[in-house]
Amino acid sequence: MNAAWIARNVRRQVEAHPRTVMATSVAFCLLALVAGGARLGTRAVARWGAFVGQNVHLVAYLAEDVDRQRALGLAKILGRTPAVARVTVIEPAQALARLNDTAQPFASDGRALDGLEPAYFPRSLEISLAPAADLTKRAADLAKRLRGAPGVTAVDAMTDGLARLLVWVKVGRALGLTILVALGLVAVLALVTVFVRNRGAVATRAAVLTQLGETPAAIRLPSGLWTAAAALAGGGAGALILALAWQPFLGRLEEKLGIVASQPPVPLAGFEIASGLALLMLTGLAMGYFATPLPQTSDHA
Amino acid sequence: MLDGVTLGVSGGELVVVEGSPASGKSTLLEVAAGARLPERGAVWFAGRNTATLQRASLPFVRRNIGYYNADALLVDEDSALDNVMSALAVRGEALSTAGARARDALAAVRSQELADRLVSSLSSGQRRLVALARALAGPPPLLVADEPAALLGEDARALVVSALARARDFGAAVLAATADTAWADALVAAGGRRINLCEGRIVGAPAIGLVPSPTMAEAREDEGPWSGSVESANGEDHEKAPALKGPR
Repeated sequence: MNAAWIARNVRRQVEAHPRTVMATSVAFCLLALVAGGARLGTRAVARWGAFVGQNVHLVAYLAEDVDRQRALGLAKILGRTPAVARVTVIEPAQALARLNDTAQPFASDGRALDGLEPAYFPRSLEISLAPAADLTKRAADLAKRLRGAPGVTAVDAMTDGLARLLVWVKVGRALGLTILVALGLVAVLALVTVFVRNRGAVATRAAVLTQLGETPAAIRLPSGLWTAAAALAGGGAGALILALAWQPFLGRLEEKLGIVASQPPVPLAGFEIASGLALLMLTGLAMGYFATPLPQTSDHA
Repeated sequence: MLDGVTLGVSGGELVVVEGSPASGKSTLLEVAAGARLPERGAVWFAGRNTATLQRASLPFVRRNIGYYNADALLVDEDSALDNVMSALAVRGEALSTAGARARDALAAVRSQELADRLVSSLSSGQRRLVALARALAGPPPLLVADEPAALLGEDARALVVSALARARDFGAAVLAATADTAWADALVAAGGRRINLCEGRIVGAPAIGLVPSPTMAEAREDEGPWSGSVESANGEDHEKAPALKGPR
C-alpha cells in the first residue's frame, strides 16, 4: 500500500468515525491544557513566591544608647549579608507614624494613640529578606544571630505570618496540582474509552486487511496517522485557549488574592508550544498505531 | 485434517474440490490461500514453499491470492467499492486505475449498483457477492473460493460459475470448493476439473493435472508465477510429487 492509499485510508477512517476523531481531539486538547496549565501555573507560583519574598522582613529593636550613626553603620553591615535584600533604619517618630496609620481604621474617634510619645519607641532596623524558597528558615536563622549582636535588644522575626502565607501557597500549589492530575486522568480515561469503543471496528478492518495480505505496519499506520492529526488539532486548540485565556484568568485571580507581582506573567514560548505539540503528536501516533489489534496468526492445519 | 493430499492448480485452470461437510475442503483451501499453515508438507506458490516462509513474509504471498470464504469478512463502514479496491491497494495497484478494476469485478458478479453503498446496508447475499468481487478483482494469480455459491439463489449461483470461469480465462488459477454436487457439475461443465475429498483424503480421480508436469523442484526453479500446489498433511517426499506448471 503506497502513500496515496494510506492517505485515502486515513481520510476514510476519519469520515467513518467523526465522533471518535472529535472525542480524541478534545481529549488531547484537555491534555494540552493540563500540560500547559502546569507549566504556566508553576511560573505563576514562582512569581507569587517573589512577591511574598519582597514583603518579608525582620525588625531588630536597638538599644537606647545606639545613636543614628551607629544604627546606619549596623544597617550597612547587615546589608552585606547574602540573605538580606535591604535594611532600613526606622526612627522613633517614623515608627509612631506607622503605628498611627495602622491603627487609624480601627479607632472610632481617631485618637486612640494620642497619648503615645515618639520616645516611647526604640530606634529599629527593618531588614527585608532576599526572595528564596526557605524564607522562614532564613528569617529564623538571621533573627537568632541578631539577638546576640551588640546594640540589639530584641528581634521580631515575623515568621508566624510568613509561615502561614507559605502554607497557603503550598496548599494552593497542591490543590492546583491535584486539579491538573485529575484533569489529566480524565483526558487519559477519555482517550482509553474512545479507543476501547472503537476497537471493534478497527479490529475488523485489521482482520480484513490481514486476510488480504497487508503488512502489520501498513495496517496500523492509518490509525496512527489520524490519531496524530487529532492530537495535533487538539493540542493546537489547547495552546490557543491558553494563549487567549491564561493571562486574563491569572490577572483576575491575582486581583482577588491581592497579589501585585513585580514582573508580568510569562506566556508559553514558541519552542515550548512546538515541542509540546510534537510530543502530543508522537503520543497520538503511538497510541493509534499500537491500539490497532492485529488478528492472531494462522493455526496449523 | 488433511491427510496425504497432493493437489496442483495451474494458471488458466479451474479446479473444484467437492466433498461433504467436514471432509477437509475448507482446511485445504485455507492452506492453499496462506490463511493456515500445514503441520507438515509443503504449499508451493509461484515457485516458493509458503509453508516454510517466515510469518513476516506471508502477507506478500496472501496479497497475490484472492480468497473468498463463508465468513465474507468485509469492512462494514466502507462502501462496497472501497472493500473491493482494498484488495487491489494491498497488491500495489495505482489508485487511478483501481476504481475501474474494482467496478469491473463488481460487474462480474452483477453487483455494480452496490458500488457506492455502505456494506453495513447490504443483505447477506449482497455481502457475499461483494466479497466474491473482492476476491476476483484484478484478477489475482490464484483465486481460492470456499463455497462461493452457498446460500445464493439460482441466478446468482450461475453467475458465480461464470465469474470463476472468467477469472480462469484471464489466466488465474482458480480453486473452488463446494458440498453441492449440482453446482460442482456446473463448474465442471464450464471446463473445471473435479476433485473429490473425503475425510481429508483425495478419492477417485487423481488430484494432479492431466498434463505431465515437472517435479516440484523443477517448478520451483521455473518460478512460474501462476502455479500453485498443496501437499499436506503427511506430505511425504514432495520432491517426487508431480505438479502442474503455469505460464511464465
